[in-house]
Amino acid sequence: MIKIKDLIHKYTVWESETEKSKKTVLDGISLDIPSGQFVAILGANGSGKSTLAKHLNVLLLPDEGTVWIDGKKTEDRAALWEIREKVGMVFQNPDNQIIGTSVEEDVAFGPENKNLEPNEIQKRVTTSLKEVGLLEKRKASPFRLSGGQKQRVAIAGVLAGLPKCIVLDEPTAMLDPKSRKEVLQVVHELNKQKGITVILITHHTDEVVDADQIIVMDKGHIIKKGTPTEIFQDLELLRSVKMDVPQVTELAQRLYQDGVPLELPVLTEEQFLEQMMKIKNHMEGGIRK
Amino acid sequence: MIRDITIGQYYANTSVVHNMDPRTKLMGVLVYVLTLFLVKNPLLYLVYLGIVFVLYHVSKVPLSFMLKGLKGIIILLIFTFCFRLICTPGNVVAKFWIFQITEEGIIKAISLTSRIALMILGASLLSYTTTPKEMADGLEKALSGLEKFHIPVHDMTVIVMIAFRFIPILLEEINVLMDAQAARGVEFEKCSVLKKCKNVLTLLMPLFMSTVRRSSDLAMAMEARGYSGDKPTSKMYPLVYQKRDRIAYVVLFFFAVLMTSLRICHV
Repeated sequence: MIKIKDLIHKYTVWESETEKSKKTVLDGISLDIPSGQFVAILGANGSGKSTLAKHLNVLLLPDEGTVWIDGKKTEDRAALWEIREKVGMVFQNPDNQIIGTSVEEDVAFGPENKNLEPNEIQKRVTTSLKEVGLLEKRKASPFRLSGGQKQRVAIAGVLAGLPKCIVLDEPTAMLDPKSRKEVLQVVHELNKQKGITVILITHHTDEVVDADQIIVMDKGHIIKKGTPTEIFQDLELLRSVKMDVPQVTELAQRLYQDGVPLELPVLTEEQFLEQMMKIKNHMEGGIRK
Repeated sequence: MIRDITIGQYYANTSVVHNMDPRTKLMGVLVYVLTLFLVKNPLLYLVYLGIVFVLYHVSKVPLSFMLKGLKGIIILLIFTFCFRLICTPGNVVAKFWIFQITEEGIIKAISLTSRIALMILGASLLSYTTTPKEMADGLEKALSGLEKFHIPVHDMTVIVMIAFRFIPILLEEINVLMDAQAARGVEFEKCSVLKKCKNVLTLLMPLFMSTVRRSSDLAMAMEARGYSGDKPTSKMYPLVYQKRDRIAYVVLFFFAVLMTSLRICHV
């Protein structure tokens, strides 16, 4: 689906009124994301993860290296709109990406830009709103919705373009915990039920434990790639790039250091409970003997 | 002060007038206002008042909304009435100090005041029954002929729609800024007008900065969803004239003809 080779991106920084210098934000990124995967990109502020996201939707072009989306080079001007159709993008601030004055109008914005038939647009708007569970709000003004609902409207707007891949650039950064859960649930459902490739960019480690693949970024480099189990084996690495570790994982690790025979890493509360119950049963069995 | 601005006075309901094509309604208001200026005989204003009452009734807009529309221009109406009353030369009816009230003055005052009031009543019915989005769509379609003269009608509509979208967001932002500055001791409510103006100025810079940032974000989001500005686009609900619109146009035509001939015949 997405292939990146030696991607380098530089921003121009104005040191003073007259002096400018180039700052390298992405420094030799190589990636391969297969279709249908749920990929999480983890990194602190300034690690270059948002810049990477913008390359996937051709909002930015590489200074060096190449990005292929479904076999098409992003530098190819002719393929620009085709790529943007395939890769949808959801941004951080819900207020700054909703264009319509009503929910359905906003969802219709993408299809309207594609010059589709009115019937087709209405059909797509209805299905997309159903998928994010906001069908009953279709006539509402976006201003009256909660943050999580707004973000789901943004997702519906992307879905109406029938993308193969959705890139979410810190979609939960401005939301409360309940809304965060809502949004993530919708994203996971889309990935599982419709097979849409999801690239979730975040700095919340607890959001990535269900991902197929995690990519940890720091200062424009990929420092580690792997499954959640592989990534959360090495908590020191995560801490070194200023990432928080999920509470359960941290607790399990400390217990392990104190001699509790847990199988690391523990990623969710359910796993933790399961393992503790096992240990408890084991110990009770031992006492009885 | 700034905290309670409401924009758009759409009265959500379903009626024949609500469902009408916005272009028909715009045309209706145009004909209504133009013919209003053709009226010579003040008694005809009663006919117009009757029409307005009927239209408000048909569109199921409560009559209290009629008064609401007039409340905003009450001062203008009073001024117009008074000045017309005392500043028209003619047969003097009453006289006190340097003012004189004339027969012509009374008639002029009444007719001019009712003309303005009727104009506002008719125009506000348009905004009660049409959402800003419909209005923009209607204007876009009605003016689309101007694209031939390289007037970017579509771009203008997009700009207007985004402006409507951002009004509540910017209002909220102003409130946050005001609270933030009030928390640091800036006075917004209890001080002289001059001081108030000066203090409001301090809101402008941060507001301007954040607006620019928002615009750049929004532009990126629009681009990501396929907006380019020069490709042809379609509409989810395209404007199509219905039977009721055709009927309305015929009625409007005959009304316009009637009013013009009345004027020509000096009735």
